[in-house]
Amino acid sequence: MATKFLAQEQLPALLEALAQGARVVTPVKSDGVVQFELWSPGTEVELDVLLAKQSPKEWVFPQCETYLRFDYTMAPPAEGAEGEAALPHETVHLRTTNEAPRQVIFGLRPCDARGFVQMDQVFGGYGGFYFDPLYNARREATTLFAVTCREPRSTCFCTAVGGCPAGQEGVDALFTEIDGGFLVEVLTAKGEAALAGVATAGGAGIAAPTGVTAGAVTGGALLDATEAQVAQAAEVKMAASAKVEPPFTLEGIRDNLHDNFADSRWHDLCMRCISCGTCTYVCPNCYCFNINDALVETKGERYRTWDNCFNPQYTEETSGHNPRAHKANRFRNRFSHKFWYYPDKYDSLLCSGCGRCIMHCPTRIDIREVLRVMGTPVAATAEGKEA
Amino acid sequence: MSRQDHIREFAAAALAEGRVDYFIGWTTGFNSSEVIPAFVKDPAEVDRLLWNPLCHHNLVTFLKRNMPDPPDAKIGVCVKGCDSRTLVALLQEELVDKSRLYVVGVPCDGIVDRRRLEKEFSDEMVDIAFPEKGKVVVTTRSGVQREFDQQAVLLDVCTRCRYPNPVYADDTAGPAVPEPGREETEPDWGDLADYEALSDDEKQALLEKVYSTCVRCFACINVCPVCVCWDRCVNRSRQPELVSQKVEPKSNLLFQMVHMFHVAGRCPSCGACDRACPVEIPLYLLHRKMNKELYDMFGFEPGTKLGEKPVFQVFDLADRFGD
Repeated sequence: MATKFLAQEQLPALLEALAQGARVVTPVKSDGVVQFELWSPGTEVELDVLLAKQSPKEWVFPQCETYLRFDYTMAPPAEGAEGEAALPHETVHLRTTNEAPRQVIFGLRPCDARGFVQMDQVFGGYGGFYFDPLYNARREATTLFAVTCREPRSTCFCTAVGGCPAGQEGVDALFTEIDGGFLVEVLTAKGEAALAGVATAGGAGIAAPTGVTAGAVTGGALLDATEAQVAQAAEVKMAASAKVEPPFTLEGIRDNLHDNFADSRWHDLCMRCISCGTCTYVCPNCYCFNINDALVETKGERYRTWDNCFNPQYTEETSGHNPRAHKANRFRNRFSHKFWYYPDKYDSLLCSGCGRCIMHCPTRIDIREVLRVMGTPVAATAEGKEA
Repeated sequence: MSRQDHIREFAAAALAEGRVDYFIGWTTGFNSSEVIPAFVKDPAEVDRLLWNPLCHHNLVTFLKRNMPDPPDAKIGVCVKGCDSRTLVALLQEELVDKSRLYVVGVPCDGIVDRRRLEKEFSDEMVDIAFPEKGKVVVTTRSGVQREFDQQAVLLDVCTRCRYPNPVYADDTAGPAVPEPGREETEPDWGDLADYEALSDDEKQALLEKVYSTCVRCFACINVCPVCVCWDRCVNRSRQPELVSQKVEPKSNLLFQMVHMFHVAGRCPSCGACDRACPVEIPLYLLHRKMNKELYDMFGFEPGTKLGEKPVFQVFDLADRFGD
């Protein structure tokens, strides 16, 4: 795959070229808050702030999406009809919708991209489980252009969960900030296809893969990278990795979460939790959703919205019984799911170490602290009580 | 003796004498630019407790139904002026059991708006220090250091505070701070001027815009010390679906309106919802507006006198009902 150089001032031209064939989504700062937004010419891409408030999850798995519309009509029975035919005749019309526009997400971090890969397992029918057509259509139409983290935060812990600030998992092309611009490493056929229409210079351009027609797009000149540029990018990556201090080791965490299921330390850790859903809604991996039907007279729609395990209704049963009646039960689920239940079922963690849950929790519940405490064996003296 | 020393002393005594099962104060978060609620069970651990202008959390939140653990726990708690008003509001309606509380009041000079500071840097803040009165020094991860005037970076709510001293406490951490003469002065509603100058349509448009980013995480509702329905919030009701679960500007506005009306008369606009919101919606605006309406109509300020009945529990023919 190709390795290119993009001059800093060429970035808008590159995005404009990409925007010819797809919608482009980038981190944008508005009123001091950075979020992933639809890019249009003139929009400034925010790369100085390491992490957007929320992960780009929403662009592939929207917080709220209508996927079915329905209406029904009632016709009176024919005159003189008997039996079943004497009942009013009801006709239900169903219309499914599944919008999956082609899109390029530029400026996400390797942990964000890895979040998609981890989430792919649950929606992608892994292990013969559920296959979600809505998610997969969007995921298929999405190309991820990640930017290497230059200044990881103290809350970052990607290296503890198997990633790194220049991680390539799920990344279609990796952009690394070096002097004067970016080193661009094209990593997948999807990345190649998206860049195929972008003008290249200096000989060997990026060839369009078979079946993809390069559009007549100019701008965003990609130059061949020099050896010095490649070397500098390697240094940037090394320096960034050195700034991430792994706060725990994964080894044994799963077993200890299992053994500590009923441990009283869960109560101590969750004392300051207010049981809101902030951690799950900023998370690049949390994927739980709820389904609603809204009916007005004879017309309705079915939509799904994000849900979270801190919601008291999340496990409430029709009888009124709630197996997770208390805050501590719900709290325990989030961490156990990410590091125990999910890995058991899908052979993947459900955490890419971005640290957003730590940064944005109203009381700064720290997943690193939770894993350090609950990921270690019960102290010999501790009296475990039912959590 | 500093206020922090007082807090530690009160906490240690209450824990050692068994008057409380645990004591709630503030402590350092994952770095020294962060302060988080602290739950201390052992008198030997009271040195974790701190007091500085970052102690924004209203700890009354942790007295609400379903929060105490165990449910019948005897709890010691620190309250600032605004926090104490939310506690009084709960006590007025007997929503918490006073006999199980030990309240330490902390007179307050104003809390620093951490988010405002955060926006001054693209780098991560790792330390916020207060080397001398009125001075704030921020250090970032890459080593940049900048000094701010504390008055200039206070929370907006603090710059208009009429109750810097707790209105209710069993013990007080140090001397009171000077208060505005409440008898002689009217509350300062200057922060509402821009909003009130708008036409109805403009207000609607503004509110829909600011709530458009709401993610329905319920942080504002769960952190609110006077929002007490907990697991039975009408905003969550799906059968019937009273508030649409659809995450869209109009429904989000209704969601917030429900919160505002349900806490009217209890909410002194402490701003806890505002600070908890992960997407930084100015939630405080609607609550402040409701506070002003209640003041203008009934001369009522929520949670100021323990023996007083909340405004929606009294009927007085002399009340004025708007213009």
